[in-house]
Amino acid sequence: MMDEKPPVTFLRYILSKEFTFTKRHLGIVLLLIGGLGFVGILAIDVLNAGREGGIGPAQTAALGLMFLTALVGLSLIPLGDMPA
Amino acid sequence: MLLAAVLLLFALVVYITYAVNLLNFPFDYDQGEGFELVDTILFSQWQTPYRNTEIYPFYASNYPPLYHILAAPFVWFFGDAYWYGRLLSFLSTLVTAAAIAYVVHRETQHRWIALFSGLAFLSSNTVYHIGALFRQHISMVMFETLAIVLLAYAFPKQHKRHIALGLLLLVAAGYTKQLAAITAIAVMIWLLLRNPRRGFLWTIAFGVVGSAIFLLLNMATNGEWWRQTIVANVGGINPLQVFDLFLLWLRLHGFLIVLALLMVLYEFYIDRISLFSLWFVTAALLGGIGSGTWGGGDSYFATSIAAMCILSGIFAGRTLQQKWSFPQNHPFFRRILQHRTRYIVSLQRVCWVVIPILYIGYGIATFKMPTYGIVFEQIATVFNLQPNVRGNFYDSATYAVPGYANIGYLTTQADIDAGYRIVELIQNMDAPVLSEEAGFVLAAGREVITNPTQLLNLWRAGQFEGDALIGMIERREFGLIILRAQFYPTPILEAIGQHYERTETIAMNHFEYLILRPKQ
Repeated sequence: MMDEKPPVTFLRYILSKEFTFTKRHLGIVLLLIGGLGFVGILAIDVLNAGREGGIGPAQTAALGLMFLTALVGLSLIPLGDMPA
Repeated sequence: MLLAAVLLLFALVVYITYAVNLLNFPFDYDQGEGFELVDTILFSQWQTPYRNTEIYPFYASNYPPLYHILAAPFVWFFGDAYWYGRLLSFLSTLVTAAAIAYVVHRETQHRWIALFSGLAFLSSNTVYHIGALFRQHISMVMFETLAIVLLAYAFPKQHKRHIALGLLLLVAAGYTKQLAAITAIAVMIWLLLRNPRRGFLWTIAFGVVGSAIFLLLNMATNGEWWRQTIVANVGGINPLQVFDLFLLWLRLHGFLIVLALLMVLYEFYIDRISLFSLWFVTAALLGGIGSGTWGGGDSYFATSIAAMCILSGIFAGRTLQQKWSFPQNHPFFRRILQHRTRYIVSLQRVCWVVIPILYIGYGIATFKMPTYGIVFEQIATVFNLQPNVRGNFYDSATYAVPGYANIGYLTTQADIDAGYRIVELIQNMDAPVLSEEAGFVLAAGREVITNPTQLLNLWRAGQFEGDALIGMIERREFGLIILRAQFYPTPILEAIGQHYERTETIAMNHFEYLILRPKQ
């Protein structure tokens, strides 16, 4: 009978003693934060229809920051398995 | 190198002169110092300043206790005084500068750059501004820096004792000022990035210790700790103030920010991300945003300035020592790195010239000095330096130009005399005195009533009614009211306006103190 190794779950893999985040992992996380944050900030105006004044300076700055975060994330993904 | 050293050492001399001047000044220099002294006195009497502001003497504090606890033993030996709080702050900046120099030397073995990095911190106008005040902010920066230095080296080596000590220093920073939460965020992200398992376990341990102290304080103060330090501090952000303070930060520190950002880019794309880089980015971003709150100011950038000095020093030192390393198979830079020897040698030759120029530029950008007094007056005459601090503003509480903190005024004997004139007025009054600054009342040996900025914080958060205090004002129970910035909540100011009138104005430190007496 063949020896069967128990399947290593994703969570167990991340919580192993040796695991460290790679540039790719970090890139994906930053891309998600930046992308979702960007959409979320824009959604404030869509969902809160009664709000007047459009996109203000603070909102514009936050959008820029989210865009930059997504861009950094995107640029890190090709770096692959290099440790972050 | 020599010119950069001269500029940065001169900045240190100016800073020491300023600190010595403030150590000898017996009243508030920065609005709020007196209330930090009151907190210290309360702790020295085994009491806390987290109190119900609806009850006489309507006093409470919005700051955590550690800085005041550290200063409390001085009250036992020296009584009520400003000098020991200011001395503690000043020493905190020296410890922080030493920690910065240590890291840069450890990373680069370049003594000059290590020295420059430590001096650059002390040369910063922001550090100069708050470094010698009886305020807790710069002690928080010291605890943060020490925590970061320990953790940056201990966590990769799994040195448990040092990790625990680093996290305890972070707890100490948090219980010195709440703003240390930003550094805690950077630390937690970095620990999790390096190894989620260990990072998670250490984060839990950190959270348990921090929360336990929090709960104990809350229980000991019947919930006032939560109300005074957390609820009262929640407020909106003024985007214009944030923008202006970011500009100020860039204008003053731009030369070294460039080097720090290059170091961040190198670590993000070529090497591993260090705790220093993550700390710098988080502190600059979140601290900068936080600077737009009411009561915030340039001091909110002090943490990022410490991180900037470390990163810029490492970048400069590595370049001068030719200690850079690049992986041969890097996806982005493979082609460039094939010819790296040629490129890097050329680049380093340029940097040998550019790096000292950047430190000279930083020294000039952060240059400040008195234009009067021994030696300074002669230097000012030789170089034709004109004073540019416009008379009535020098602290971050007031913005002549939005976001601009005027600093550096050295107090004179005339200022001290003016302060004692106010003290004399209080001593000649039998009735209680309401003073916007605590120093005069303490010097007169009278009870300090209210902390106006905290009343304003509470009022803005819907946590202050003020009926009892307004009642005292309406009944004209205060013999004198002393105002400066008029930071009381609007209903209090309205009551004062209806029942008191200005009878005298006394100038001290280029501020006008309004002396009000009950209307006849």
